[in-house]
Amino acid sequence: MPGKTLRKSLIYHSCVAVFTVLMLYPVIWLLMSSFKPSNLIFVTADSLVPEPWIWDNYTIGWQGIGGYTFGTFIQNTFVIVALATVGAVLSSAFIAFGFARMQFFGRNFWFAIMMGTLMLPYEVVMVPQYILFSKLGWVNTILPIVVPAWFGQAFFIFLIMQFIRTIPAELDEAAIIDGCGRFRLFPRIILPLTAPALATATIFSFYWRWEDLLGPLLYLNRPKQYTVSLALKMFLDNETISNWGAMFAMSVASLVPVLVLFFLAQKYIVEGISTSGLKA
Amino acid sequence: MKARQLRNHLAGYAFISPFVIGFLAFTLIPICASLVLSFTDYDLFSPPRWVGLDNFRKLFFQDNKYWKSVRVTLTYVLFAVPLRLVFALLVAMVLNVQVRGVGVYRTLIYLPSIIGGSVAVAIMWRNLFGDQGIINLGLIFLGFDPVRWFGNPTAALWMLILLAVWQFGSSMLIFLAGLKNIPVTYYEAASVDGAGPLRRFFRITLPLLSPVILFNLIMQTISAFITFIPAYIITKGEGGPLDGTLLYSLYLFRQGFVYYHMGEASAMAWILLVVVALLTALLFATSRFWVYYESKGGA
Amino acid sequence: MRKALLMTMVLVLALGLAACASGGGSGSGQTPSPSSASPGGSQAPSGSSPEPVTLRIAWWGSQPRHDYTLQVIEMYQQANPHVRIEPEYASWDDYWKRLAPQAAAGNLPDILQMDLSYITQYAGNGQLEDLTPYLNREIDVSDVSESALSGGRLGDKLYGFNLGVNALQVHYDPALLQKIGLDKLPDNWTWDTYKELGQKAKDAGLYFETGLRPEVFFAYYLRQHGQRLYSPDGTSLGYDNDQLFVDYFTMTRDMVLMGASPTPDVIAQIKGIEDDLLVKQQAISVWQWSNQYVGLQTAAGRPLEMHPLPGPNVKQGMFLKPSMFFSIAANSRHKEEAAKFINFFINDIEANKLIKGDRGVPVAGKVKDALKPLLPPELQKVFEYIQWAEQNSSPADPPDPIGAAEVMALFKTYDDMMKFEQITPEEAAKRFREEANAILAKNK
Repeated sequence: MPGKTLRKSLIYHSCVAVFTVLMLYPVIWLLMSSFKPSNLIFVTADSLVPEPWIWDNYTIGWQGIGGYTFGTFIQNTFVIVALATVGAVLSSAFIAFGFARMQFFGRNFWFAIMMGTLMLPYEVVMVPQYILFSKLGWVNTILPIVVPAWFGQAFFIFLIMQFIRTIPAELDEAAIIDGCGRFRLFPRIILPLTAPALATATIFSFYWRWEDLLGPLLYLNRPKQYTVSLALKMFLDNETISNWGAMFAMSVASLVPVLVLFFLAQKYIVEGISTSGLKA
Repeated sequence: MKARQLRNHLAGYAFISPFVIGFLAFTLIPICASLVLSFTDYDLFSPPRWVGLDNFRKLFFQDNKYWKSVRVTLTYVLFAVPLRLVFALLVAMVLNVQVRGVGVYRTLIYLPSIIGGSVAVAIMWRNLFGDQGIINLGLIFLGFDPVRWFGNPTAALWMLILLAVWQFGSSMLIFLAGLKNIPVTYYEAASVDGAGPLRRFFRITLPLLSPVILFNLIMQTISAFITFIPAYIITKGEGGPLDGTLLYSLYLFRQGFVYYHMGEASAMAWILLVVVALLTALLFATSRFWVYYESKGGA
Repeated sequence: MRKALLMTMVLVLALGLAACASGGGSGSGQTPSPSSASPGGSQAPSGSSPEPVTLRIAWWGSQPRHDYTLQVIEMYQQANPHVRIEPEYASWDDYWKRLAPQAAAGNLPDILQMDLSYITQYAGNGQLEDLTPYLNREIDVSDVSESALSGGRLGDKLYGFNLGVNALQVHYDPALLQKIGLDKLPDNWTWDTYKELGQKAKDAGLYFETGLRPEVFFAYYLRQHGQRLYSPDGTSLGYDNDQLFVDYFTMTRDMVLMGASPTPDVIAQIKGIEDDLLVKQQAISVWQWSNQYVGLQTAAGRPLEMHPLPGPNVKQGMFLKPSMFFSIAANSRHKEEAAKFINFFINDIEANKLIKGDRGVPVAGKVKDALKPLLPPELQKVFEYIQWAEQNSSPADPPDPIGAAEVMALFKTYDDMMKFEQITPEEAAKRFREEANAILAKNK
């Protein structure tokens, strides 16, 4: 028996590992390129190993643009992303509960509207929305980017809804019979059971916003407010030499927080199941 | 009875109120504006000029590029979505184990998705498919002819399709979460009853996963229809070669922000919205035949 | 009841949009009242110096340009303590993406960098201030030639101040040229010479050039034959003879088919200057603007040479192009102060020592003279070339009409199709004319 499991484990690991490496080749390329001098990156694109190996891209890249270091940009991004993510996940869960568990007049109407907001490409509401926010005086602040998140986001609402639906309604009723009020039902019972979905939504919200370019582009005009995505774009220019090395290096650097968060969160997804053992 | 019902309605609205308020405040006006704009000739600078259905007429009957972009986008969606979902499900199942270090694999495979929409990735992807890029080297190694990815409109579109498939990580994650939600006891009971892995998959996994499958299917379809950044960066905003990668959203962007035809861009956006909405409604309608919900609270 | 409400909403909306979009007003050069708040704009009414003033300035570019521009701004602020300048900068495409909504909201920065391909759009819709009243008052133009100024004129109004001058050149690698038996490109060469050299290059295993952008070089070709790409009022194409189209595009297509010029997909894979075919020693020459010379040489890391374009009628074909402008937003509340900054930018010698011609060869004569000896040799060559070009060119075409962006896209489509042999030049000439005229006719 032990021999068989060891062999199975080996086969498993080797297959998955090979697949992972293949999948990751482009990312490895990105990482290795960040250690190459800018002007050699594409010329030596076939060989992964940088020759010479330099750290300059990181040191120079970190100095950022116009006197603001990447530390500033990362901080800016973090504030925006954290605020927006917390708001998005909490509000979306709240709203999802309403859609998934409650019957009320006009529910299907509002559900359709919610799905509708998903389908309109941002480019089109971009200009009218900008005018709206401009009149509110919110341009050059992070408000247009953060505030709407607190009112729910269709993608997450839908995601969490589907998860709530996998929870049998009998559970709700059992809880109510046990004395749990309607409004207490949500935080006490449903929320913990949808933990995997919440964790997923958090991850998504985090890295989508981390990479969001259009919002910051429109509403953050001063370089000192810039987010990482904007700053990265600034390394490139069509007219003169683009600083590929610095751009790749800083892209890698800015991925680290997202990766860390993901690694932590995915564990939570796994652990989140232990509570669903309640079903058995 | 009536009072109780009223309370239920109010409770329901209480829960979805943030969405309603947010929608009314931030989204409704811009959406209405864009709808109105689709019937105007608007170049962002001078006041919009009403032209009725002219924009739509021009798009449908006078614009070759429009139909090209529709064909390109449909091809893209048709291949990218199923491939992506299949990969995502398969890999999710493979990674749905309690092996040590599986968390590492999950993170690594998910990595491409995370760096997804970024400029660095698009540039890097373009490089992979160059004439002397690694993909062609690989093809030659396996005995095939190299492909002129940038010179052949069909091949160029496959660059984008492959990019989408490569980033199946987000769908995989959702499938993983869904798989985790299936109580192990079901599988145990089934094994005891003598069901093999294939039967377990089709009788337990798929049905219980079906709400999640529906979710992924709808979300991926929608997102495939509005894909923009990778196409923009890889083709330098032009949708070449010979419009082979002129995705709908790319053409929309050009109309609005390069040619300043905001009226036509808005019209294009609303057409897209209607089409995708119909498609989604269709998916929902057929879902009652294949999606199984444990709770009656909502199908 | 609901329907009426909806209609009212829509109406209010449309009116609201109309109101804020028309912040530019009649476009007759009068100062309209600002229709919406401009955040980050002014704090005090414009007036005489002691009142503190905040200006917003926006430009596109890359790291080096941002750095020195910020230094120039700092210089100006020190000399003018009552002025605070808030910079907004981005890369080329992000810049325009951001500018458009700002214009729609009546929220443009006080000073904005402008380009020939967009200036007609912005100026024609009243977004830009006519600079004519500020000339020889806030902006000293005693040293600036009329031809340099004319680039920013639309009709009889000046909407952009020329920041620097560019001209077309052929940049080549003499070492690679020697491989086909020449030490330098022949003086007074013609398009026929071009074809011969192409053949020789191909035989030596090199590209002769790296692709000629149709909207630039076909326009030059037309000028050589006394024609223009666009009609003076911008409502149609400016040339009648399709044979010119056929001749030019047959020539460039044949270069590609012969192997002396790269195919469109090879060009599509080029990521930037470091990847340029000349830099990689696969092409002998690059045909582009004079302000790109230094960048190319730096990337190549070896000495290059520059040469005028082929004849005949070089003087008729050549022109001085304003590389970019500074314009003043019509919604600005501090136009005089903005104009004073522009004046500083073009006339101040110390400032230009920082600028070093990055935005084109300076238009003010004194600045040019003072700057030249201080420059590295490659830049000096550029200055000298511009001086030569000033004597050997004819008046530039007016700024591109509205719809030029679409015409450019048409060029690209048909150029690619011809190079992939999917269409003959004769057929392309006809279809191009039809479609381009349809686009431009909207300007009537």
